[in-house]
Amino acid sequence: MGMLSIDGDSRCMANTIRKGIYMKSAWIILKEQIEHFYLIRRLSIYELKSKNKNNYLGILWEFLNPAIQILIYWFVFGTLRGRAPVEVAGVEIPFFSWLLAAFFLWTFFFQSTILGSKSIYTKLRMLSKMNFPMSVIPSYIIFSQFYIHLFMLGFTVIAFQLMGYPINMYYLQLIYFIFAAYCLMFSLSLITSTLSTIIRDIHMLLNSILRMMLYVSGVLWPLTLLSDHPKLVTILKLNPVLYLVEGYRSAFFGVDWYFITHWQYSLYFWALIIVLFVIGSTLHVKFRRHFIDFL
Amino acid sequence: MEKAIKVEHVSKRYRLYHNAKERLLDLITPKEYGEDFYALHDVSLTVEKGDIVGFIGTNGSGKSTLSNIIAGVVPQTTGEVNVKGDTALIAVAAGLKNDLTGRENIELKCLMLGFSKKEIIAMEDDIISFSELGKFIDQPVKSYSSGMKSRLGFAISITVNPDILIIDEALSVGDKAFAEKCLDKMREFKAQGKTMIFVSHSIRQMKDFCDKILWLEFGMVREFGTVKEVIPNYEAFIKEWKKKTKEEKDAYREQVTAKQKEILLKK
Repeated sequence: MGMLSIDGDSRCMANTIRKGIYMKSAWIILKEQIEHFYLIRRLSIYELKSKNKNNYLGILWEFLNPAIQILIYWFVFGTLRGRAPVEVAGVEIPFFSWLLAAFFLWTFFFQSTILGSKSIYTKLRMLSKMNFPMSVIPSYIIFSQFYIHLFMLGFTVIAFQLMGYPINMYYLQLIYFIFAAYCLMFSLSLITSTLSTIIRDIHMLLNSILRMMLYVSGVLWPLTLLSDHPKLVTILKLNPVLYLVEGYRSAFFGVDWYFITHWQYSLYFWALIIVLFVIGSTLHVKFRRHFIDFL
Repeated sequence: MEKAIKVEHVSKRYRLYHNAKERLLDLITPKEYGEDFYALHDVSLTVEKGDIVGFIGTNGSGKSTLSNIIAGVVPQTTGEVNVKGDTALIAVAAGLKNDLTGRENIELKCLMLGFSKKEIIAMEDDIISFSELGKFIDQPVKSYSSGMKSRLGFAISITVNPDILIIDEALSVGDKAFAEKCLDKMREFKAQGKTMIFVSHSIRQMKDFCDKILWLEFGMVREFGTVKEVIPNYEAFIKEWKKKTKEEKDAYREQVTAKQKEILLKK
């Protein structure tokens, strides 16, 4: 028999039609993130440490795992089945280089979203108090993945020097796209961590959805393959991960300032982030007092 | 006198479900499913600054729930709780991370309580020496015995110097010598005029240490008063209670919860 308690007032999300509460929640979360930035950074380091305490190679596994994964892809697509080169804004790029440019962005997104979704119900026991700024939890989980991503990014940059794509001015937009990725993952995690705490099945569902998303986010094959079906491409472009993936490629291959040349896409992306963030904050603020009752 | 803790008409309701379907239906439909269970029912309590209050009662009377609500770990369903100052809850092995070492746990715990790196370094030695963990401090917490865990938890909580200390049976797992040391520290706090809440089954410790006693029974206040008033009644009750057969105990429980329901219906 499960134990659970819900307040009368948190019973129905639909009842919250009071305006202003959305903006207020978003503001609360934003303030918490800024005020507790130091805490987020410190906690993310402890997170990495404690996660890898039992392995002899320790934190090295965090880097080995994605590295092994891309080696497999390189073996399968690069040597066993030669894939045709891909065109990025008119420049022809060999398939493996094309894959490498955004692959670690995908692993960053995948790991952060999965871990972010279960962050609250796995970490809540650790907190001794409810007045702890709980929105910090998904944030520091993502941040710990960010360190790994930075390292993998460094690895990618070195690989590209050897492959003949030297550092260029367009690299600067990577900072913008990393920030954009962080905003996307945090907003998503606010929603999924709250929902997964209330209904654990959501986390399982998310797992499946993410596995599927790998194949439709333009990571493994270029959307230009679908150029005969422009409607389908438009639908696939609604996926915000695609925006980030394309942005990373533009940066590494130095073709254009992606977020400027595709400004409509940028507008769409940020509008979506704002909507997700406001939904996430509202859900989070509404339920956070009761998270402990759902454990 | 200044009021340190004010609890007014606090109830804590849990909902018991018979299966997962009920639980889901309760969550997503406006209709209510499942059975209500009140862990606390209309509890009011005022603690003055510098008071040491002991919570007593049989198992399942709501002592831990009430101390958790006062500490702000668990939200109440209805009622008001006002607490002046910082609280620290010390429960057996509360919030330690098993994979990290004792030292890392100290840092992490203090970090979460909002201390800066400098302050943490300053406190670390005090905590380690109070916990008497010796070289175990650099071993992962999962290798600790329950006594060692509670020693570490206790050492952290008292070193961060809270205004209100809530001790939930944390002393029952350590050995006598450490319990004595903790009691000494608590006497020191008492002398400083700190407010404390003490949950324990040991009547001897209660007599020794508390000013006031709150006696809880099935989530309701049975008696609240000075040690001299309440403890003799409680001891008499426990004596009777132990003599009762299981059937008699169940009958008594029925009787009290029926009374509870009556009060509920009146509202």
